[in-house]
Amino acid sequence: MDIISVNDITKTYRQYRRFPGLIGSVRSLFTREYIEETAVRNLSFSIKEGEAVGYLGPNGAGKSTMIKMMTGILVPTVGELRVLGSVPHQARKDNSRQIGVVFGQRSQLWWDLPVKDSFDLHKYIYKIPPITFEKNLEFCVELLAIKDFIQKPVRQLSLGQRMRVEIAMALLHEPKILFLDEPTIGLDVIAKDQIRQFLRTVNRDKRVTIVLTTHDMKDIEEICPRMIVVNKGSVVYDGSVVELRNRLGNERQVVIDFREEPGLIDMPGITLLQEEGLRRTYSFAKSDASVFDLVSRIAAKYPVEDASIESADIDSVIRRLYQQLAEADLKRQIG
Amino acid sequence: MRMYLMFTMKAFSNQLAYRSEVWLRLLGNFVTILIQVEIWRAVIGNGSVAGIKAEQMITYSIINTLLFALLLNGVSSKVDGSLKSGGIASELIKPLSYPLYLLFDGLGNSLYQLAFTAAPSLLIAGLFFGILPPATLTHFFAFLLALILALIISFLLGYLISLLAFWFMNHFALSWMMGGLITIFSGSFLPIWFFPPSWASVAKMLPFQYMGYVPAAIYLGNITETELWQVFAMGVGWIVGLLVLVQWLWTRAVRRLVVQGG
Repeated sequence: MDIISVNDITKTYRQYRRFPGLIGSVRSLFTREYIEETAVRNLSFSIKEGEAVGYLGPNGAGKSTMIKMMTGILVPTVGELRVLGSVPHQARKDNSRQIGVVFGQRSQLWWDLPVKDSFDLHKYIYKIPPITFEKNLEFCVELLAIKDFIQKPVRQLSLGQRMRVEIAMALLHEPKILFLDEPTIGLDVIAKDQIRQFLRTVNRDKRVTIVLTTHDMKDIEEICPRMIVVNKGSVVYDGSVVELRNRLGNERQVVIDFREEPGLIDMPGITLLQEEGLRRTYSFAKSDASVFDLVSRIAAKYPVEDASIESADIDSVIRRLYQQLAEADLKRQIG
Repeated sequence: MRMYLMFTMKAFSNQLAYRSEVWLRLLGNFVTILIQVEIWRAVIGNGSVAGIKAEQMITYSIINTLLFALLLNGVSSKVDGSLKSGGIASELIKPLSYPLYLLFDGLGNSLYQLAFTAAPSLLIAGLFFGILPPATLTHFFAFLLALILALIISFLLGYLISLLAFWFMNHFALSWMMGGLITIFSGSFLPIWFFPPSWASVAKMLPFQYMGYVPAAIYLGNITETELWQVFAMGVGWIVGLLVLVQWLWTRAVRRLVVQGG
């Protein structure tokens, strides 16, 4: 069963037009002209119970807006949106008991209170039965290593500690869906790892559906088997991480160190990416000949000292996807 | 309910962080009352104006000055802050009624003001200027009831302003306007019985009188027991009307909600 279904959702913001300068600002007072900005455009996708989905796209792609619509904070302008079978903004109160939300850039903790007090307040607000609460608290405190600072006021926590607390709190009421908007932003590698591992456990063992936005591809690789990529408010990719890598990552990079200047290398299927003294980086299309074949053919003709084959990492796959999108946009504008 | 009361307690204890403000507020209240006392003593002297004696006006001024600190108009600046910082997102993902949350949070502030500024100010003002006892026991209980009406109406008006701020993205001008209306039509400075008849009849149609004039006039017994029912019925009528209005505005406002800062 679909736990989230998004059907042709559009969200536009209306902004009154502003004119620059002092005279302009006076003029702005009288204008009724406005600009409609479309944050999300005819978006459709659905998510099944127990899935872990990475929701990504460049800055300004409308990711946060979509999360806020799914959590019932914002109201879609057009379209049908259902989360747990109801319309989120209409069933905001009921739905909020069954979802957990973490905003990486916005704290939900009580700034002046010790962590434990924030948890206790959460217990009352969500009316969590004491046994459930204790059980979940223990689970989170242990796996996220919160024990050391559970008595400290939230304002004294480091960002990494605070984030762990935010995530723990979002899970205390046993939500069916956990929404995370950039949960690892600004964290160090260890904190990121800890959070990723925890989220994976929550998804696999507790069967909590996860929807996560991020700019860190490792988050997606380690937590989410599926990813939805949006750009300018529309879905541009929806599928598995592996598949996207096959589609866009079918190029390999080969770094070759030459003994001496080889001159121009003329070989079908290779493109020069970088030149750094005697070190050249080429991209190879994975299509016909194997990369190994090509390298050995080069080695036969040119003075090769050393060569290493690298698979395109997910970051460069995404970079390529975004670049393709930007180019497509540019073409559309020119044409 | 328990959870909303917790917000009241939380707001109360948050205010404790600003304890030094208490002294300033006490001083401010004292000066405000002093000025009014001097004005009314100068205007009325030993006689009476329109049947009102100076002592009555002093009590009236004390009640109004202290009541003002308890009113919940401040709710609009709280919502405004949440809108500007985007913090409203965190408030809306909780399983709470947003207006009830605001109400109980505001009550925490009022409770704090009651305990730390209004009550001591009352004592000080009583010692310095003298305060009349309530007209009758009935009037005293009616006065307490009127205080509750004052809190509810002030909350609803403040909330109304904060909902209108969804359209303007700024509540300052609206609050300013509301402040003006309250100052004049609540009768907190100039009681409605001194208004010219046409203005008095306008003031008695509006909800603002419940935030100043009505509680004080009841306390002093200037509203007779037979009139009480009428005044309360109209107050409740205003509450119902405002409730309907803010409910409707909320459904429209939420569509306009923009969460600032991603």
